[in-house]
Amino acid sequence: MADVVRVVAADDPVRPLFSPAGELTADARGTLGLSPDELRDLYHKMVWIRRTDQEALNLQRQGELGLWGPYQGQEAIHVGTVAALRPTDWIFPSYREFGMGMCRGIDPAEMLTLFRGLSHGPWDPRRYHFAPLVIPVASQVPHAVGMAMGSRFKHGDDVVLSTFGDGATSKGDWHEAMNFAGVFRAPVVFLCQNNRWAISVPLAKQTAGSIAERAQGYGFPGIRIDGNDVLAVLAAVRAAAARARQGDGPYLIEAMTYRMGPHTTSDDPTRYRSETDLERWNVKDPIPRYREWLQGQGLIDEASLAAINREVETAVEATRNRLKSAPVPAAGEAIFGRVYQHPPDSFLEERQEFESSLESN
Amino acid sequence: MADQTFRLPDLGEGLTEAQLVAWRVQEGAHVDVNAPLCDVETAKAVVVIPSPWAGTVQKLHARPGDSVAVGAPLVTIAAQGAPASAEPAAEAAPSTLVGYGPGGPEAGIRRRARVAPSAAVEPSTDVRAAPFVRQMAKEKGVDLAQVTGSGPGGRITKADVDSAAAPAAAASAPSTDGERRISVVGIRKAIARQMVRSVSTIPQFTEFAIFDATNLMAAREQRKASGRPMTPLPYFIAGVVKAVRAYPLMNSSWDESRDEIIVKQPINVGVAVNTSQGLLVPVLRGADKLELEAIAEQSAHLVDGARAGTLPPGQMSGGTITVTNVGASGPVETGTPIINPPECCVVAFGAIKPRPMVVNGQVLARSGAWISISVDHRIVDGALATEFLTALVAELESIRA
Repeated sequence: MADVVRVVAADDPVRPLFSPAGELTADARGTLGLSPDELRDLYHKMVWIRRTDQEALNLQRQGELGLWGPYQGQEAIHVGTVAALRPTDWIFPSYREFGMGMCRGIDPAEMLTLFRGLSHGPWDPRRYHFAPLVIPVASQVPHAVGMAMGSRFKHGDDVVLSTFGDGATSKGDWHEAMNFAGVFRAPVVFLCQNNRWAISVPLAKQTAGSIAERAQGYGFPGIRIDGNDVLAVLAAVRAAAARARQGDGPYLIEAMTYRMGPHTTSDDPTRYRSETDLERWNVKDPIPRYREWLQGQGLIDEASLAAINREVETAVEATRNRLKSAPVPAAGEAIFGRVYQHPPDSFLEERQEFESSLESN
Repeated sequence: MADQTFRLPDLGEGLTEAQLVAWRVQEGAHVDVNAPLCDVETAKAVVVIPSPWAGTVQKLHARPGDSVAVGAPLVTIAAQGAPASAEPAAEAAPSTLVGYGPGGPEAGIRRRARVAPSAAVEPSTDVRAAPFVRQMAKEKGVDLAQVTGSGPGGRITKADVDSAAAPAAAASAPSTDGERRISVVGIRKAIARQMVRSVSTIPQFTEFAIFDATNLMAAREQRKASGRPMTPLPYFIAGVVKAVRAYPLMNSSWDESRDEIIVKQPINVGVAVNTSQGLLVPVLRGADKLELEAIAEQSAHLVDGARAGTLPPGQMSGGTITVTNVGASGPVETGTPIINPPECCVVAFGAIKPRPMVVNGQVLARSGAWISISVDHRIVDGALATEFLTALVAELESIRA
């Protein structure tokens, strides 16, 4: 049994920051080294991405978007994660990490063209180090590991973060990715956003045992943390990324949160979950929680809260207007344009056939 | 200002229609961008549609209960800031609504591909049906070779087997001799769902009592004389609140998932209101913090709002106990009310009228009314219900002007 890699506490820089219950300790909170401006900015971003989420929901109801997957309740993870990483660290999101993309600097109106059916890939992933949103569950996890292995082979110090939901951990892709990451000690941080619902399947019917503890079986550490505390997320991701950066391999963070809205705009959660469940999580809503903490620390006053709200309203209205005036691409280019760098003849014929069928209509 | 017509979008990936549940605006009203316009129910969910424009509502194109096709006009709004022009803006520049494109509904309502039942499929031993359908057919004694499939490619569905197994009369189209079919949507559907949930999940029992309303009526007379009339409802609510304070368990919910009883702190009294749409239960929040005057004022506002259909949904949810005034509009003495889940108790008041009562050994004509309470027996036993009812009667009988 000598070959078995034992995961020992000394190898885990994240765990000392947290209580056994997954709460960030007061000491760790006090030594994050963030300036008051940076602390306020985390709040500002959470409000901004939530308000944008609500606006996208409205736009879908108004027929301006085909589909929307709300992330209300998970803002602390979106904002804390991006703040913890270097801008050159890669993020491989699922379909719900719109807010992370915003925090990476991608124009939300541009991102929304995806949901408006105007573009298959509205942003350049290499510019933002933010991979495309993916709909197939867990497909992004092996991609992230591959990217991390590449970074290691090139002797770079970029870290890759892969984020996914609790449901994704039931997929074979997830196991394969975790196993590869462990074997190759890839510089990757796995961030599970355990929002307790895989569409309509509750956690208890999806997962037996602890997701965080599964990391042990792959030869690296894992921890379950409070995912509705933006500073807890920031601290955990930062420590796990630093560990990966210095060559110590992967880390699994299971951030406990709650999907407060529907799975997507095609879903009606009142058919499968109770209001009391939602009420229990309402009190843990990451935004009021963090606001109260900032107020308690004397870091934010009513005037700056009002200013943030004003700024966010203006930004959201501008997003709405930019989206609605986004140019509609020619159908042929939109569908065939970005598939091949050097399209084969058969493909060009198909495109031509498609375009002439449009003209004849 | 120019009129713009908002057409029903495809709200959920390939839907073709939605049923209008309720309007939240009236013609002539001003709306802001994203203000709630109406509730619609699709095959997938009940959703609120927010206004795409700010302006004045010119026309509502559908009535509650109507089925509206995706792409059909829903509401016309004289939009602020929209270009005023001779041509109506809606026609001049149709917006690109996801799901049916810019050309108006005719251009491309996205219909789900429907494969017509294929009569051309020759009956053969090569029956197309899923294993569970075959199993079902075997159990019901249905010969699948004799069934025409209505599924894709002539596949036999569960419904096909059901109709084949049912007696011919039931399977045929609804008969026309005097039957009428009413599509159940919106509030009717919500009431049905809530009531089924109540009687199928809550073991409830009902207790009755009569209270002497002499003092209550005297108090009302006195108010009337001083030009401040009050209906009995606020007294009922105030009485219930006081009795609940003494027996907080009446203000609770059963949490099946955790085997816990959730005792609610604020007392939010639902008030059952008959409206043209059906029964609505607006909620008087924090009734335990209100004086009688405020209860009267706010409950009147809620009742009026419910009847006018102008209450936001937030004011129709979150009740912790419900009051229903079954005697308010007829000679109804009492009834067996059904609990409004997830509450624990519903209190019904019958008509107040003169009735013979024995007072100090003598039969006198006194004003009185029945009270009935239905209670969740998982939470409350008969003894406690009786104590609560006793306290409620005592509260109402001790009203002072």
